[in-house]
Amino acid sequence: MNANSQGIKFTGASKYVLDPELARIVNISMELEMPLLLKGEPGTGKTMLAYAVAEALRMSLIVLNVKSSMKLVDALYQYDTLTRLNDSRFGDSKRDVSNIEDYIKMGKIGQAFVSALRVVLLIDEIDKADTDFQDDMLDVLDQMSFDIVEIDKTIKARHRPVIVITSNAKKDLSDPFLGRCTFHHIAFPSPDMMREIINVHFPQLDRELGKACIETFYRLREIPGIEKKPATRELINWVRALRCDPDFRPGRLAKGEIPYMGVLFKKSTDYLVASQHLARARN
Amino acid sequence: MFVNFFYKLREKGIPVTPTSFLRLQRALGLGLINSLEDFYTSARAVLVKSERYFDLYDQIFAHYFKGADLPDTEGIALDEAAQMLLEEWLRDPEAVARALGVEEDELLRLTPQELIEYFLKKLKEQTEAHHGGNRWIGTRGTSPVGHSGFHPGGMRIGGRSQGQSAVKVALDRRYRDYSQEGPLTQSQIGEGLKRLRYMVPVGPKDQVNVEKTIYETMRHAGEIEIIFDRSLKDRLKVILMIDNGGWSMDPFVEVVQVLFDYARSQFKELKTYYFHNTIYDYVWEDPPRRRKPQRVEEFVRFDPEDRLIIVGDASMAPFELMSTDGSIHIEERTFHPSIDRLRLLAKIFRHTAWLNPRLEYEWAHVRTIQAIRQIFPMFELTLDGLEKAVRHLMKNN
Repeated sequence: MNANSQGIKFTGASKYVLDPELARIVNISMELEMPLLLKGEPGTGKTMLAYAVAEALRMSLIVLNVKSSMKLVDALYQYDTLTRLNDSRFGDSKRDVSNIEDYIKMGKIGQAFVSALRVVLLIDEIDKADTDFQDDMLDVLDQMSFDIVEIDKTIKARHRPVIVITSNAKKDLSDPFLGRCTFHHIAFPSPDMMREIINVHFPQLDRELGKACIETFYRLREIPGIEKKPATRELINWVRALRCDPDFRPGRLAKGEIPYMGVLFKKSTDYLVASQHLARARN
Repeated sequence: MFVNFFYKLREKGIPVTPTSFLRLQRALGLGLINSLEDFYTSARAVLVKSERYFDLYDQIFAHYFKGADLPDTEGIALDEAAQMLLEEWLRDPEAVARALGVEEDELLRLTPQELIEYFLKKLKEQTEAHHGGNRWIGTRGTSPVGHSGFHPGGMRIGGRSQGQSAVKVALDRRYRDYSQEGPLTQSQIGEGLKRLRYMVPVGPKDQVNVEKTIYETMRHAGEIEIIFDRSLKDRLKVILMIDNGGWSMDPFVEVVQVLFDYARSQFKELKTYYFHNTIYDYVWEDPPRRRKPQRVEEFVRFDPEDRLIIVGDASMAPFELMSTDGSIHIEERTFHPSIDRLRLLAKIFRHTAWLNPRLEYEWAHVRTIQAIRQIFPMFELTLDGLEKAVRHLMKNN
């Protein structure tokens, strides 16, 4: 296990700008074999980090998107009763009806456990589920095994997956949960960091344009009364939109003329507030 | 290693557990940490589990490894104590003056700013919380100020009193356990409201009922008969009425805001209305209470199974509640006393609860609270009260 992970160090990926602090935390979590819990406002790259880790470590990524109605067993395995019933009636498949194991399908966590190679397991938006789900899941991840009650069999992880858990900062998770994770809060990127992120995504971008966009972007984020502030994703899409527009001149941004505001503000009230604010600023 | 650092973190109020400290030791033992910078990030990731403590962690780290000054929490406590003394002074100057052993007139000449400084000086004279002795603040001493002392005219500081004296907690604050206190957070409200659910089968029939399927298949002598059920969904409808006007609700705006935010994300079918102090002929759908009025009579068309939750301090002048035409707003004229309107609502909806941000021990002193309690079951807007309210709302009868 340890021999397996030694020498593997996460140093960044092609489309992900990694700050050295976060790289250290990812590495220490891997060495300590603890899940890494990431918090931070939307658009700070929590989910993207897992993709980047997988890419950099050349492991495949398994994503468990948590839903509010989800039960833990859904994430572990599923017993396909219908197919079995069907087979028992018609008996035209290669499956052995008397063997329940043929009808067990692995869920996302189960897949990560039985995989022949070490994988990265991303558990996305854990805060959506209720606290029981969270605590039970941590038990499974702690012991690296779970039971399939239908066949009385214990599934043990062949390789301990690299686990990344994300949470939107809305709710606090329970203490036992937090106790078993390493924790990092990703702050919203600073303008310098953002410049690097933009450079990674648009290597050919004109420097002037990049600078003007980022300045405008941070100014727009400061507008009071905005419910959902534009995040990195919005900025990237916005830059993409501006680049497609042949008539666009960077100088116009400084004057307060912002085209394609709808890319940045997705709520109609926010859109309205922002345009009013800009109109006032222009006069 | 770094045991003192660990205790420093605990002492300053960061909830670090021994287990996580042992994990950090393991990381050190594995040779993963080779520089102070490594140690800084690793220790934080392993020990500190909320970004709220990051700032404090930084300060303690700087103090421990670089000898920087720690924030003077004592100073803050003193400031707060002085602030409280000032409030107490404004309420009852004579008692405070007597307690401090100075003439009331002397203090009256001071501006509030000077008063604060004066109090601070007095508080600093007593450097440690000293219990016993005859300096002037402490417990069990013979000084005039202090709790459980035996000076006849003494003022209570620390300990419990009925009148919610501001000074009573002044010195206790120094020992307060930060992790246990604080206002209701969203997740606490979430925990509280979680049981407020009404699961009913809805949507397409897409869930296989295994037991019934087997039973029916057997009944048909092995001819497969698959039985589908609808899945269970939460269909609880909640009507929330919030008192959002008047200065009397001001201190509670934050906690009500949290409740409202949570309710909005939790309940699919939530209707929110606003009122000021109490309910007359209308409640409003818009917070400024102007554009979208809703007649109270029209609630009879609602489902009586809807859960009605009213949030308000229920504190007002008695005439506002009891007399016809009691509203303090000139444009709001009516022939029904508000209390009749409240009775009507209580009659329409079978499950109601009134959440009061004022704490329960204050209720007995407010007449209108007494009156409204007769109509709606009233609960404190605290974790405990919320749980009781939810239990009440989910009762079957």
